[in-house]
Amino acid sequence: MHADGGPPRCEAPGNARIPLVSTSVSRLASGMNAILTLVTAIGLAGPAATVATPTAHASEAVAAPAGPSHPSMVVAGLPSACAPAPLPGTRPLPPLGPEYYAIELFTTRNVPGSGYARGFADVTVAPSSPFVVALTADGSYRYDVRVSLERMNAPRGGRLVAWVTTPEIDRVVRIGALDEHMSASGSVEWNQFLVVVTLEASDDPAATAWSGPVAFRGMSRSGMMHTMVGHGALQQENCAAYGYGN
Amino acid sequence: MGVRGGGPTRMRWRGAAPTPMRWRVLASSLAIALAPSLAAPLSAQHEMHGAPSAGAWRMIPMDATMPMLPGLEGAVPVVAPFLPGQGMDAAMLPEARPSEIVVMADGDTLDIAVSMVRRTIGGHQSVMFGYNGQYPGPLIQAPKDATLIVRVRNEIEMPTTVHWHGVRLDNRFDGVAGVTQDAIGQGESFTYEVHVPDAGMFWYHPHVREDVQQDLGLFGNLLVTSPDPDHYGPSHREEVFVLDDVLVDEQGLLPWGESAPTHALMGRFGNVMMVNGETDHRLTVDRGEVVRFFLTNVANARTFNVTFGGARVKVVASDVGRFEREQWIESVVIAPAERYVVDVRFDEPGEVAIANTIQAINHFRGEFYPHVDTLSLVTVTDRPAEQAIGTAFETLREHAEVTDEIERFRPFFGREPDHELETTVRVRNLPQSIVLSMEADTLYVPPMEWNDAMPMMNWLSTGEQVTWILRDRRTGAENEEIDWRFDVGDVVKIRIHNTPDSFHPMNHPMHIHGQRFLVLTMDGVENENLVWKDTAIVPVGSTVDLLVEMSNPGRWMMHCHIAEHLHAGMMFGFTVDGGTP
Repeated sequence: MHADGGPPRCEAPGNARIPLVSTSVSRLASGMNAILTLVTAIGLAGPAATVATPTAHASEAVAAPAGPSHPSMVVAGLPSACAPAPLPGTRPLPPLGPEYYAIELFTTRNVPGSGYARGFADVTVAPSSPFVVALTADGSYRYDVRVSLERMNAPRGGRLVAWVTTPEIDRVVRIGALDEHMSASGSVEWNQFLVVVTLEASDDPAATAWSGPVAFRGMSRSGMMHTMVGHGALQQENCAAYGYGN
Repeated sequence: MGVRGGGPTRMRWRGAAPTPMRWRVLASSLAIALAPSLAAPLSAQHEMHGAPSAGAWRMIPMDATMPMLPGLEGAVPVVAPFLPGQGMDAAMLPEARPSEIVVMADGDTLDIAVSMVRRTIGGHQSVMFGYNGQYPGPLIQAPKDATLIVRVRNEIEMPTTVHWHGVRLDNRFDGVAGVTQDAIGQGESFTYEVHVPDAGMFWYHPHVREDVQQDLGLFGNLLVTSPDPDHYGPSHREEVFVLDDVLVDEQGLLPWGESAPTHALMGRFGNVMMVNGETDHRLTVDRGEVVRFFLTNVANARTFNVTFGGARVKVVASDVGRFEREQWIESVVIAPAERYVVDVRFDEPGEVAIANTIQAINHFRGEFYPHVDTLSLVTVTDRPAEQAIGTAFETLREHAEVTDEIERFRPFFGREPDHELETTVRVRNLPQSIVLSMEADTLYVPPMEWNDAMPMMNWLSTGEQVTWILRDRRTGAENEEIDWRFDVGDVVKIRIHNTPDSFHPMNHPMHIHGQRFLVLTMDGVENENLVWKDTAIVPVGSTVDLLVEMSNPGRWMMHCHIAEHLHAGMMFGFTVDGGTP
């Protein structure tokens, strides 16, 4: 039971507990998410028993990111017939790399000069692997991550530093300080992760965690997997029966 | 679309005729809203497990804590079930024997009988198939440049052929029914002349309903040895590991689709792992011993991530030759039909598990979870191995002759692709709840499917409802409509993009018959250590550039080597004109 006497709150492990956008935008995004999810579920993409294959052009349109994170999470997954056009000013994803897994970084507006900035984390398979896909010994993917910002000036004080962290923020790995081109490259060995750019007082390669304000953040696409436990069409029992909310 | 097959009355699914939008919206909304109240308790949803008749459809093994989509209780595939030797007492058949090594010289002849055998898996005796009564089939060992005569006689109830996977042999003997030969009917024979121009580990298997025949045990290795005794470097011993999985329950083998494959979406993942046909494979080595493993993945769909319990491992070679450089690795990612040669040194006494170590996905919970299946248990004794080899093991050899040979292809590396393929899928008449569920759950598709995360939905998808597609991006031609033509000597760059925006994207191990290729780039990133291949993975969302040396004339196939995808359409033929084999 939850502290307020109600049913246990379902918080599935692996899902981000850090809101990706500010509260007001989050509420709007949640509503849009729900609407778009329902729209998808009732098959507006086409006949339910026959699914048309999107063309390459349409699939590119679906892959283009758009706007606040919650709507874009759903938009990115819609069949092409339902995908809205990219918002004005949307940057096409780079031509190389698996665009599907690229991560859009959203500004927190916590850092001066970041209000109209945006960022991307391009994720590619670590080239050191002889097997096309690179894995760690426990089977986790090993990626190279290249972080880049646009419409962002160098801060007057301090350095912008990129990090990757788990959705639980229990492990942090430093990618590196952004260079004069507002980019930094590193690697990550987790299946689900957040990319965070912070404003640090100085560039300390030995730092194990950030101490400055978060300027940009984004979730890996894999982090967007959402549990159906305890609600929705597959609800059978309270989510506590599946080990959540304890 | 009715449901066929024996056994108790099954729920019948009808393909949805086009209806006005408003009715579909209403019906779907009501279905979703009412689903919780209509759904049976969790335990009741799985009551179909273990239905009495072994030959009829019965529920596939799955996690009993995983609720099923509303309305799928009692659903079965729309094709009839098939098990070999129906009505036959398995005890009447000979027990399959372990694979035997057959050493052949140039011009030698080998007779192979394709027959039914008895296998005991998980305590159950089943009728399966075997080459020469063996499981796996005979390990044929022959020297490079030899020509072997293999007379195949078919004694099973299905037509069959033998395809010599990875071997750049005379096209007439490539073993593709309807392309290079007629299928071998029951009681008929065919003689293959197998010329082996490349040293390496290859394998042979049917090219008729591979999803059934290969899964039932028709596979074997062909080891082509180099005249150079130091081809792979020193090792204390060599072990052949044929990796496989099989889908069984307490009654034995789960049926296959008779007229078309089941598991057409993801392929048939087994739930029991095997090495060389054994579920409890064991090995004993001495401390410090360097063991060379020849790994072959003959599973229908599963890609393995083979770990060696922390032992020191280096990769030496793959499908059609050695890497430019040996390389330290933590595990071997090996897709269906691929081969890898790895040297492993076991330094610590004790037991070491060679395992399939993955991060599986539970879509219901929206999370990754670790999953490990032991493939083989290695007992490392306290007796020390010969030290000299151990020292050489630490040196990563560079194979200059490999690099030199690849050098003449380097001028082609930067060219624009000659052909571009896109992989996608088209479905029709799948149960409504499957379609709606998959259309809704589209936020994330992993680059690789390491496990069957949707066993019920996968099982219900058949080749009559699913078409996997290779599409020529320039012409729009799909699958067998594609008809590329080349000349002997052409060096062709083929770009393959695995679009993530289809109904169910999935990784594909792409195989090209009769030729060899290099994997040049993966998502624009150059491959830093090249090796000649005949099969390569294309993960979801990724773009892979292959450079193919068209050296072998004839009519050849290119296809996905997930057996269910192949037999759901994912293949096409191409022609190489001119020259002599």
